[in-house]
Amino acid sequence: MAPPVAVSPLIKFSRYAALFVGIAYGSRKNARLTVSEAEVRKIEEKQKKEREERERIAKELAAANEDTILK
Amino acid sequence: MAALAQRMVTALTTKGPVLAKNAVEFSKPRLQTFWYYAKVEMVPPTPAEIPKITEGFSNLIKAARTGAWMQTTVREGVRNTVVVAEIGFWFFIGEIIGRRSLIGYNV
Repeated sequence: MAPPVAVSPLIKFSRYAALFVGIAYGSRKNARLTVSEAEVRKIEEKQKKEREERERIAKELAAANEDTILK
Repeated sequence: MAALAQRMVTALTTKGPVLAKNAVEFSKPRLQTFWYYAKVEMVPPTPAEIPKITEGFSNLIKAARTGAWMQTTVREGVRNTVVVAEIGFWFFIGEIIGRRSLIGYNV
């Protein structure tokens, strides 16, 4: 077995620094995205309710206006 | 169907421990070699090595300034590229850990 290499401390330090920076970056971006996604979901929920309301009214109007004797 | 389930359960209880023991015995020497190298190469730098860190950093800057980087061989250049790529991979692994999801952000 080859003896272990003496890794330069600069490389070791930058490895762990990159690891911690990555953890911080990932967790902060996750927090930011969950917040913005909650807001988008709220807006979409409201729009969906309005749209369903309009569709329901349109359907009732269409059902009232069709001329069939089979009612 | 019930017989199949019963066979599976008996196989699990009889062969399960044997398989686990074989797995442990297989992995022990490999874990030992991993630990043998990791103890020296993967350990985070101790505070005693901080002056060496600053010295290495200033060496980098000096090499960039004086143009010594133009004298590097291709072999050295490839090795440096692989080292920098490894540092980049540690960043991405950190991001995976930070967002607590393997592939994307689970929003």
